[in-house]
Amino acid sequence: MNAAKQQRQRLGSGAVQTAFLIVLIALWYLATTRWRVSPLLLPNPVAVLADFWDILSTGEFIGDLRVTLTELAAAFAIAACGGLVVGYLVGRSRYRIAVFEPLFAGIYSIPIILFLPLYVLFFGLGPASKIALGASISFFPIALNTIAGFGYVDRLLVVAARSMGASEYQLFRYVLLPAALPVILSGMRIGFTVALLSIIGSETIASLAGLGHRIVHLAEAMEMTRMFAYIVFVVAIAATLNALVSALEARVRSAR
Amino acid sequence: MSLPANRLRTSLRRPWVARIGVIIALFGVWEVAARWWVDPMFFSPPSQVFASLGALFDTRGVPAALRLTFWELGVAFVLSVGIGLLIGLPLGLAPFARRSFMPIVLLLYGTPQVTILPLFVLYFGIGPASKIAFGVSHGFFPLIIAVVAGVQNIKPIFLISARSMGATRMQVLRHIVFPHMIPSFFSGMRLAMSGVLLGVLLAELYVSTAGIGYFTTLFTQSFDPTRLFGLIAVLAAMAIVLNEVVRRAEIHFSRWHMD
Amino acid sequence: MNDVAIRITGVSHRFGEEGDARGVRALRDASLEVMRGELVCLIGPSGCGKSTLLNIMGGLMTPTAGEVEVLGRRVVAPMPRDIAFVFQENALFPWNTVLDNINLGMVFQGVPRAARDARAQRSLEAVGLADFAQHYPAQLSGGMRQRAALARALSLETGILLMDEPFGALDEQTRMILGEDLSVLLARTDKTIVFVTHSLGEATFLADRVAVFSARPGTIKELIAVDEPHPRKPEFATSAKFTALRNRLYELLHEEIRKTMAETETYADEIGSRTRS
Repeated sequence: MNAAKQQRQRLGSGAVQTAFLIVLIALWYLATTRWRVSPLLLPNPVAVLADFWDILSTGEFIGDLRVTLTELAAAFAIAACGGLVVGYLVGRSRYRIAVFEPLFAGIYSIPIILFLPLYVLFFGLGPASKIALGASISFFPIALNTIAGFGYVDRLLVVAARSMGASEYQLFRYVLLPAALPVILSGMRIGFTVALLSIIGSETIASLAGLGHRIVHLAEAMEMTRMFAYIVFVVAIAATLNALVSALEARVRSAR
Repeated sequence: MSLPANRLRTSLRRPWVARIGVIIALFGVWEVAARWWVDPMFFSPPSQVFASLGALFDTRGVPAALRLTFWELGVAFVLSVGIGLLIGLPLGLAPFARRSFMPIVLLLYGTPQVTILPLFVLYFGIGPASKIAFGVSHGFFPLIIAVVAGVQNIKPIFLISARSMGATRMQVLRHIVFPHMIPSFFSGMRLAMSGVLLGVLLAELYVSTAGIGYFTTLFTQSFDPTRLFGLIAVLAAMAIVLNEVVRRAEIHFSRWHMD
Repeated sequence: MNDVAIRITGVSHRFGEEGDARGVRALRDASLEVMRGELVCLIGPSGCGKSTLLNIMGGLMTPTAGEVEVLGRRVVAPMPRDIAFVFQENALFPWNTVLDNINLGMVFQGVPRAARDARAQRSLEAVGLADFAQHYPAQLSGGMRQRAALARALSLETGILLMDEPFGALDEQTRMILGEDLSVLLARTDKTIVFVTHSLGEATFLADRVAVFSARPGTIKELIAVDEPHPRKPEFATSAKFTALRNRLYELLHEEIRKTMAETETYADEIGSRTRS
């Protein structure tokens, strides 16, 4: 296939996607204006946009955003420290990998959100329970990837470095770390995404503040327009944060 | 060192033995912490949790709630698989449709669905329907992706060979596309099960009148860590079993893989 | 019988669209007549179009110019009742056992159910895999997989067999054995075989005639006849006749291989200079 044909195909699929998006928005608009769908079910998209702008311009979002981001930062920090340290300690030994890796993988395979009621019972409805849950979930991809990163460093590299007289520290800094870094970074990116999702999720289920809670609050008050606006806001925030993290990962990788 | 002692030492060194040792140690710490360090209002030792399992199941509504949740999981899973196939097969077989719509699918899959959980409940009510719907919404994406992958990456030589032997389009679909897709399909089912578990349980924890979410809220609010721990343990066990079933099915049906 | 099984007249083929700068002229005015019951080898440097010509012969591709006739009929599409393929890349379906693979080929061709068992059994015995009918391809070695692919092609009981470097991915020793077996098979049936290969020794050992290709765009430079009856004994491979023929092939090919290498080198130089500057 030549370049011209590929270009045409890409334009073709792009056109379909754009058309799809336009039709969707058009249907939404028609549903709420012409077809008289109840605003309690589906708010008017123009109104949603207006509310969205209002939320941004009045800075109403700041309180909730701050709560969510603080929880996220704390949870991720704990998970990262724990995950990296545990991952390193386990990853350096074949035996320890064989013991712990399946254990971690096994625990991670169940929806850890199940433990949220336990954390709520213990820490209450405040940020602590969200941080605890976020950290619990986020720990695993970080630990597992760190284990994989350190555990599968090419033996040849290690042997070569040792034969040149490298100390433990030098081995770590100049051989192990660079070799393991891509996998570890990838694990941290996944951990971040998962932490964000868990925090928003736990705020939705059991919280007094934060973005997840705000959406629930608006739903219970049947303020559909504002709720939709916040949903858009939260999706945008999540997308931005994820994009930033991905970009950071790429930057660190290429800086090696 | 004598032979039996040596053998004992070697078997103790086996990873799975050590793993069980770690788990027992963790339970031990839990037991000690619950009995001596932490306020029993918030925390319960495993021995007590285990002993009270009977009482848990005797609690009115709990077995029914477990059955209901299990049913929600089952329905959500079947629906996910059905919808996933229905959308995935045509997408996989039509390159233009796939190129156009897969980016949309992937984009939707990547958005944090948890933000619209309250919407699901508003639309589907507080009963099982919203749990099933939210479960399906988490489960059918990985299945579509897996089916498309399984159909799309058929080695061209298979299709060329079939053509050279005179296969009709139907025959190609039935004897080549379909069997080739099966391992991917089961891998997708494994992910779909994880998704369904997440979706249904999230929805249950959010709001529930007769499912396990009702009881987790009840036990939390009445500061009953024993029964809460017990219920969560049972649910975790359910999740593990369901995941394992799908995982085994995946291995069984992928036996012919050459890589 | 000296009927013409396959007749190729002035076949040229071009990949890519007209005027496309990256288009490739694969074949240039190739002509050949393959007689019934003979084994013709197509040999030539990489990229000379021999595989393309084989695909065109079998109806898997339509040439941009020229005509192909098989058994007197024009070829416009695959002819599963008359032509069977064996490809270099193993085309056994990995989710089926060897026997199921063979049966499936017959399903595609349209063989009635009652006849399938006997045919499958015969073809398995012909390639020596009767004990492996229930094995999956993943459980077989490369050589056995290609034997199974050959069995599938044989079970279709076509008059013509087109083989595209079928032993190319196998080691030297397996190739030798399979080559000898193919020769035995040929003697027993009266199939017409066109066999693409890179290996001079293989071509000399197997072929009744060898068609030597020029460098790309390929055309048939010369036809060498190997006058030795099938089944060919292993001793043939060490005879003076064999060596002489093989040397002749080498002479003919050497120049073409050099040309192909030069083209590759020029291309590599170009890429190199572009990246350096």
